[in-house]
Order: sequence, then structure tokens, then C-alpha cells
Amino acid sequence: MNKVVTLKAFFEEARAGRLTAIRCGRCGELAIPPKEFCPACQERAWDPVPLDGHGTIASFTVIRVPPRGHAEEAPYAVAVVRLDEGVSLLGRILDIPLDALKVGMPVRFRPLIRDEQTVIAFGPA
Amino acid sequence: MRGVAVIGVGVTKFGKHERTCAELFAEAAADAIQDAGVSPRAIQAIYYGNVVGGEGEHQLHMGPQAASVLGLPTIPTTRFETACATSHAAFRHAVMEVAAGVSDVLLVGGAERVLNLPTDAATEYFTYASDATFEQPAGMTFPGVFALIARAHMAKYGTTEEQMAHVAVKNHRHGALNPKAQFQKEITLEQVMKSAKIADPLKLYDCCPFTDGAAAVVVVSEEVARKSRKPVWVRASAAASDSMFLHDKKDLSRVLATERAAQAAYRQAGCGPEDVDVVELHDCFTIAEIVATEGLGFFEPGTGGIAAEKGWTSLGGKLPVNPSGGLKAKGHPIGATGAAQIAEIVTQLRREAGPRQVDGAKVGLVHTLGGNTATVLVSLLASE
Repeated sequence: MNKVVTLKAFFEEARAGRLTAIRCGRCGELAIPPKEFCPACQERAWDPVPLDGHGTIASFTVIRVPPRGHAEEAPYAVAVVRLDEGVSLLGRILDIPLDALKVGMPVRFRPLIRDEQTVIAFGPA
Repeated sequence: MRGVAVIGVGVTKFGKHERTCAELFAEAAADAIQDAGVSPRAIQAIYYGNVVGGEGEHQLHMGPQAASVLGLPTIPTTRFETACATSHAAFRHAVMEVAAGVSDVLLVGGAERVLNLPTDAATEYFTYASDATFEQPAGMTFPGVFALIARAHMAKYGTTEEQMAHVAVKNHRHGALNPKAQFQKEITLEQVMKSAKIADPLKLYDCCPFTDGAAAVVVVSEEVARKSRKPVWVRASAAASDSMFLHDKKDLSRVLATERAAQAAYRQAGCGPEDVDVVELHDCFTIAEIVATEGLGFFEPGTGGIAAEKGWTSLGGKLPVNPSGGLKAKGHPIGATGAAQIAEIVTQLRREAGPRQVDGAKVGLVHTLGGNTATVLVSLLASE
């Protein structure tokens, strides 16, 4: 069985509200797909594992000068979230006032769906 | 392995230009070849760096175009791209080719032109050097990447926005002494602190500008170098990478690729941070300079902000950093930056830097960072 979680599969799952990580069958390293070799032990034996989507903000920023295509959304916050299982994920922050954001604040995953595109996002825990 | 030296440098004025990347590169390359005192026909290959020429000029296959405009169309060329570390990566490969005995005289450099583009387009093209699968769709920008690093550094060590502002003030003060710099004007701490927010906590004056410009250096074997005016010796040139994904980085307050590249370079050269007299490092944002001074081993983790505040990294301080004005004031034509940093250190070690000369500089370090901290090059140069 091919246990590689493709980007397509990761984002299809995310669109349905589910986050998927991969755990190394040899050393137990948890990672965000896609990856072939385990960066910790170089084994090639991943198992997909669900993440429950809860975590805390490790760092965040408020983007005020956006790239083309995001002009109408600015200002918006982007954060790196440390998930409870130990991996991190970067995503957009939704429904939290920009001036209330703090490192360590609990948040919860939810998908931001824009037409065909699914963006990782986090809202209030 | 053979000894390798830099014997010629050329840098265009940094700022806005009405010329193509190839034209800008050709000017810097011709200046470097003439500075080296070698015949243009002695050049055996060109390693050319450029990042967004495909997007900005609709030009790929840039190496032969640059060689053609230089007037040396039959020389083999290769284009390099490692985001903002592009021409430093090209330099490392040239050093290895000469050290291996394959070539004796190589021309290395790069060019970038973005001020012909609208700001939102240039911001978008630069963003292509961050991950396109998770980070671009979330609306990340390069100031955003370094804002995440800044926030993590502030949370972990108590680094302040004022300490970051000191880096900007210092590099503008240095840039005012550099006739090639994009900004040759001093700024105040208050101006930095009151400047427009770009990506919190980074403000406009925490960010380097968009810049057009080019730089080139001539890399030669020891035998060729011995016949030249003032050779500067390459003691080390090392590269390191880290994950392309910000979500893979376990500690956002550090740039692991900088630490690994520095350790490799010090090992190659058989020296340590205490032996370095002058530094050109990658201050694309003020926090980047603070984190780099720690990662390169000059200051303990968490104390880079204090070093900036106390003036230790100023001209006249205990370790002058970015006497050229750095990316912040000299400007940051991304494909040219690494070569321009190397050119500045060569100029310093030849004692030809005029009012921004670091007294008695014998060993210089060059640090160039690519993209979202995934690529770092560190080279050590010496006058003896």
C-alpha cells in the first residue's frame, strides 16, 4: 500500500475539516506531508495519522502590504501554530481581533475555502 | 585542492535603472574584468545569478544573453537561482571549479531589476521564493516570514522593536558613506519607529528596499592571483539548507542554515568567529541581522539586539557589520546581492573602502540567506 499522503489528498481532507499528519514507522517522528524519507531517521515507512486541530500560536504577524491577489483581504493575520500532537502548521487566522493575538494563544483548525482553493486557517479554540 | 582568490570586483550603482538585467550585469562584469587586470579573453566561464527575470523581463536563458551583451558570446554560461543567495551560490561553485583545477579564471555575479514593476507584482514574484503549497495561499510575504521570526525572537529573548530599529539606523549611517548605495541618507530611531507598518512587528524602515543593480567578481587560481595587484584569498565557502516549509522549523527564533553554514566555513578555514574583522551579512530585515550575528557565533543567542543597541556592530565598534550599508541601505537587487557583498569584503580587505574602511581588516565574512531561510551561504576571505 502506498502510504505517501499527497498534497492533493492532504488538502482534500483539510477541505472536509480534517488534518492529516504522517508518523514514521521506525522512529515515531511526526511530520506534515508530503515527505518520502523521514527527516529524522531516513526511514521510508510513514503511517497517516489524524490531528485533532487544536494548538497554540507559536508566532504570528499581521500582513498589511499583501502580494497581488490578496489586496482586498489586508490587513490579515498569519500564524505558525504548534499543534497539540507536536507538529506545527502555518495558516491564516480567522475571527480573532488582530490586536488580541498573542504568542501562546489557543486556536483551532478550520479550512478557509476560496472556490477551488483550500487554505489552512485557524479560528478561536 | 588549489588556492583560490578574488582579483577583481565590479558593482553598479544600486537604485532604479532603465537598463535590462543583462546590461546591468555587463557593466559590473566589465568593471570587474578591468579591475582584475586580465584580458576579457581570459574568462573561461560565466556563472550568472538572477531570480525574477523570467517574471519581470520575460527572459529565461539569461546566461548567454548576459554574455552576449558583455561582448563575450562564446563563453560557457550557467544561470544560478537560490533566491536571495543566488550569486553567492554561484560564487561557491566557481570557487570549487577553480580549486578542482578545471578552470583558472571565472567571472561570477548577478543582476536584478524590479523597480520597473508595480510593488504588488514585485512582492508577488519575491513570494515565489517561499513555499507555493502552504505559505503563498495563506497570503504570506517575505516581510511576513521575518515578522514571524521577529515575534518568536521577541517572545523568547525579550528583543525589542527599538533594538531592531538600531540596526536600520546603523546601516543607513554606513550607507551614507557608500557612493554606490541606494540610500545615502542617515535616519533617526524615531523615523524607524514611526514608519508605516508592513508586517507586524516589522515597519517600513525594518525592511530592505526593492533595488535594481548588478555585481560581479573575478575568481582565479593561486597561480593567476600571484601575478595580480591585490589578491584576496578565499579561505572557505560553505552552503547549508533547512526545510523549505516554515512549519518544519522547530525554533523560529533561529536560522539553522546560518549556524550550519558558519560551522562548515569556520572548519574549512581553520578559524572561528573571534578571528573575523569585518562582516557583510544578509540584513534583508533588521531582525535578520540580529539573528545572523548570533547564528554566525559573534554574539550569544538572544543578545544580537543588545549588540545592535550598544553600537558593537557599527563602524568603529568591536565588530563592524555591513559597512557597505547592507541590504537595508545599499539596496538588495536579489540576484546580485551575494556578489555585491563579496565585492565589499574584497574592497575592505584591499583597504580601498575610503570613509567606510574598517581599520586593519584582514579577515572578512560574507553571509547570504536565500528565501524563507532555507538556503544560506557563508564565505571567509582573507588578505593574506
